[in-house]
Amino acid sequence: MTKYIIRRLLGIIPTLLVIITISFFIVRVAPGGPFDGERALPEVVKRNIEAKYHMNDPLIVQYGRYMFDVLRGDLGPSYRYKDHDVNFYIFQSLPNSMILGVIAISISILFGITSGMLAAVRQNTWVDYLSMALAVIGISVPLFVIGPVLQYIFAMKLQWLPTSGWFTAGGGIKTIILPALTLAFADFATIARLTRSSMLETLRSDYIRTAKAKGMKSSAIIFKHSMKGAMLPIVSYLGPAFAGIITGSVVVEQVFRIPGLGKFFVQSSFNRDYTLIVGVVIVYSVILVIMNFIVDIVYSLLDPRITYK
Amino acid sequence: MKPFSKKKSLETTNEFNQVIVGNSLTKDAWRRLKKNKMAVLSVIIVSIYILLAALAPILPIYPYDEIILDHQHLKPSFTKSSGELLLEKRMADLFTQAWRQGRLELTPEEDDMLWAWIDKSEANKVWEYMFQRGSEMVEAGAYTFSSAEQRNLDNLAKKLKTDLQITVNRVWHTVEETGEKENVEKLPVDQIVALYAHMIGSTVEIEQEQYMREIAQQRLKIIQTQNAEMSAEDHQLLLATEMDTMSEREKDRLVKENVMAKIKTRAKEIANTDLKAAAGDESATFPLNKEIAIQDTLSADIKATKMHDRRYYLGTDHQGRDMLSRIIYGGQVSIAIGFIGTITSVFIGIILGSLAGYLGGKVDYFIMRVVDIMYGLPYMLLVIIAMAIFGRNILNLFFALAIISWLTISRMVRGQIMSLKNQEFIEAARSMGAPTWRIIFRHLVPNSLSVIIVFSTLRIPSFIMTESFLSFLGLGVQAPYASWGSLVGDAVGGMTLYPWKLFFPAATMTIFLFAMNFLGDGLRDAFDPQSKNQL
Amino acid sequence: MSIAKAQKTYTHLLEVNGLKTYFKTDAGIVKAVDGISFTLDQGETLGIVGESGSGKSVTNLSIMRLIQSPPGKIVDGEILFEGEDILKLSESELRHIRGNEISMIFQDPMTSLNPFLRISTQMIETIRLHQDVTRKEALAKSIEMLKLVGIPAAEERIHNYPHQFSGGMRQRVMIAMALSCEAKILIADEPTTALDVTIQAQILELIQDLSKKLNTAVILITHDLGVVAGMCDTVCVMYAGKIVEKAKTHDLYAKPSHPYTFGLIQSVPRLDKAQDGKLFSIEGQPPNVIDLPPCCPFHPRCHKVMDICRTQYPPTKDLGNGHEVSCWLFADKKEHSHE
Repeated sequence: MTKYIIRRLLGIIPTLLVIITISFFIVRVAPGGPFDGERALPEVVKRNIEAKYHMNDPLIVQYGRYMFDVLRGDLGPSYRYKDHDVNFYIFQSLPNSMILGVIAISISILFGITSGMLAAVRQNTWVDYLSMALAVIGISVPLFVIGPVLQYIFAMKLQWLPTSGWFTAGGGIKTIILPALTLAFADFATIARLTRSSMLETLRSDYIRTAKAKGMKSSAIIFKHSMKGAMLPIVSYLGPAFAGIITGSVVVEQVFRIPGLGKFFVQSSFNRDYTLIVGVVIVYSVILVIMNFIVDIVYSLLDPRITYK
Repeated sequence: MKPFSKKKSLETTNEFNQVIVGNSLTKDAWRRLKKNKMAVLSVIIVSIYILLAALAPILPIYPYDEIILDHQHLKPSFTKSSGELLLEKRMADLFTQAWRQGRLELTPEEDDMLWAWIDKSEANKVWEYMFQRGSEMVEAGAYTFSSAEQRNLDNLAKKLKTDLQITVNRVWHTVEETGEKENVEKLPVDQIVALYAHMIGSTVEIEQEQYMREIAQQRLKIIQTQNAEMSAEDHQLLLATEMDTMSEREKDRLVKENVMAKIKTRAKEIANTDLKAAAGDESATFPLNKEIAIQDTLSADIKATKMHDRRYYLGTDHQGRDMLSRIIYGGQVSIAIGFIGTITSVFIGIILGSLAGYLGGKVDYFIMRVVDIMYGLPYMLLVIIAMAIFGRNILNLFFALAIISWLTISRMVRGQIMSLKNQEFIEAARSMGAPTWRIIFRHLVPNSLSVIIVFSTLRIPSFIMTESFLSFLGLGVQAPYASWGSLVGDAVGGMTLYPWKLFFPAATMTIFLFAMNFLGDGLRDAFDPQSKNQL
Repeated sequence: MSIAKAQKTYTHLLEVNGLKTYFKTDAGIVKAVDGISFTLDQGETLGIVGESGSGKSVTNLSIMRLIQSPPGKIVDGEILFEGEDILKLSESELRHIRGNEISMIFQDPMTSLNPFLRISTQMIETIRLHQDVTRKEALAKSIEMLKLVGIPAAEERIHNYPHQFSGGMRQRVMIAMALSCEAKILIADEPTTALDVTIQAQILELIQDLSKKLNTAVILITHDLGVVAGMCDTVCVMYAGKIVEKAKTHDLYAKPSHPYTFGLIQSVPRLDKAQDGKLFSIEGQPPNVIDLPPCCPFHPRCHKVMDICRTQYPPTKDLGNGHEVSCWLFADKKEHSHE
């Protein structure tokens, strides 16, 4: 088991290297960078800028230097903001995004599994229809429609919750509710549908028939015999779910004006602040890769048939 | 499992019916799909959408990019024309003013209600109420407009009656010697400039210089909006680079565009003054098609409509553009991206997936490692970067989306092919000496088609979602083009004041996505009945 | 409940009367089991034989009330276990019978054990469901049962997961689990179909030995007539949801009366009889059991078909010694004249 974990951990490294490399080269090949027009700048100024960002070195040297810096945890200076470097901006906003993401994924897992299970166990009853209708809405309606609609209903019409803001900015704990619900919706829908279909499949399987033939109660059959098997597809969906949460948070932070990494990311991509964009992407990738790793481990713990070759 | 094995016997021989019906998989799936009411409804809805999007250019709708600033943020109305809505708005304004100045008296309850609305900044409700109430009072003689107010309203009414919307369809140049007419737009750029110079009594040289200046100014404006955070000097530098590197053809195109726009503007001015009198006259019929002379040899085909007779069934946006036509044209973009993107990514996925699955070995290893690594990437973010860096146009969007979306389909096709390739019918084909490509594309791929179809159907909505997601962030389709995502994105800011701007595109998009998802589910159930819990 | 039952008198351990189990499908109502009756006594082994789709498994799932509903439904009949109708029991009373009084082993041992739970967990839970014992006692009992079915090193292997066992071993585990509560009836639904030929004999022998030892009645579902000959006291032959012939095993083989039974027996290759190079086979396919007309379902394939077979289902005729057959060949003349 330990060996397996170490092997998987080592497998993460090439992925991360590829991500950093791709990011680096995307930025270098970008036509029209932040210092476009340097041609007409006075020679001295131009040389100063190039020296500051090491742009006159051969590409391979620049790449090596960037790699080295990133591996040390230094994402470099921002092309736009003079006061701080990329690390500063990222670690200022990352916690906000993390809080939002963790709450959202917890909501979607909790409610998704519960309603999926209910739908499967009470198949073809109103419980089933209701939760599947909700799930179809979650899959069909984009985040940026759900967000404003929730804002409109709960913040503007009913005035129960604030429209936007964030608790660190003094908005109170209530500010988390709407963004987290919005962000959770899409994954809730997918998880509910997955749970339902995999639960139904499990309930039809031979070993559940065996359990029934042994005279077990249906509650025991569901929780003891079906849960583990039915949860496997959900666990393997969690990888993509995390990716979805990260992408989704970019929109949600925009809609609810949350000072998180996603909002920052959009801003910097408008500003063409390349070092900052790449920095954000690297941070996101690291989170994603680690999450995928954890999901893999959990999966192998759940399924006894998986052997650690 | 005996009850389920019955299912199979349905398709086999039945002595008692005496007829042996052999059903192919697709036929069978089609039969099951037709039984699924939601799926059938979805097919109809999707067809209507596609039809509307495809026929958009010939539908009787206003151009999606026609800006009429007078018509900013008009609410949707089936019964009232834009002129009537504008007049109502003005009256509501006047009533509100009068109420706040105490000239128009309401009951204390009404006062409270109105103030409450104002506190909640629900301006729409205030206006609506004031118009309703004010009109009643005028009717009952409880309130009369002051002479200034009356004059204000009369002026507006007159303007609303006479304002013309003129579109120039074509500009003609009559060749003096032969009397033949030429379409000016089709002439070489030098000749157009010469014509224009002649028209305003200037020389070609002066004009050419003037245009370059104007073009530079236009570019500068674009540069300024795109790089708002840069200093003015930087802007100048960027502009200089851009103008230096601009090709002759590009310059010609810009000059031509500018000059044509000027000639058309002139034609509009002339038409406006010519027709103004006629507009006030009740007997004149509009819309009016006419050829008018601009000057000497130049003439233009114009179409004149009464601007404020327009009706906006779904309201207008912040630049007075018709929401209905923007939604339809936006749908064109969104649906096209959904379909073309899916087809492209499915195509790439099939080729790579089937190669990996069939050839195996090193090819398989390489392709699958690439897929694995790309799976680990937060690809949406890479798309955002790509859009930010390579420019925000539809082509880049297609490209960026297509190269990231072939992963899942290639994995799926690979799995299918690996399980199929050792079956007897493939062995048979191979033993008969069929070439590899033929085995892959004539035997293997068609046999995995049902899986591919189902997946593709479910892929389309996710493509549309992704596109709209980017457009929402402002990284996708750029104005004056629209997509559902960009329309929603534009509307979110003012959603309390102008809810229709959010509601209609959002609803349109949601209905389409619903239908596509239901269709995908229906197809999956039809092709793979085991997946459903019904026998 | 057990007291009430003890006072009741009953003639057979299990008595199935006019059982009908139908399935609703897109194409119509599938009459998987259409009015069958049979009895089973203590220690008896009953074989149910038929082609796939003839309703053998549905019959036995109906006895356990394990039919998926929807689409399946037991529409008529009674199943008397020790004189009490299983179809009228409540959920909790039913649970008392399942696994305790009547237990079942299934066709495919690879999928019938829960792959996510250890063998020990699955066996202990079975025992503790029906007996008031501690975990330890249940574990000891489980190990004992595993030893009984011939699992080597049972003490260690009991803590393994199912995927660590071979197919034959898993079926042994299933048998051990099924018999761990000393059930009165063991229903074995094609217990050897999914296994290797060499293992098949071992498993059947095991079932036979254990049922003798524990005095368990066995219902053996199979399509293999050889198995029936070796193991069963009585045989029911099923065709298209109906029992076409029922007899003591010896009688059936000595005097197969229904043309279908005859065909079945003839189609078994035999070494002791000269073959003219060709195996006997019944032409055609079993019918679709949707919307069958009221005729003998076997008539299109029957080599002794008469006119009446095409229009009316034959009555059941007792040929003596419990040998019953449903075929117009044996019907009285006056029944023919009904036409």
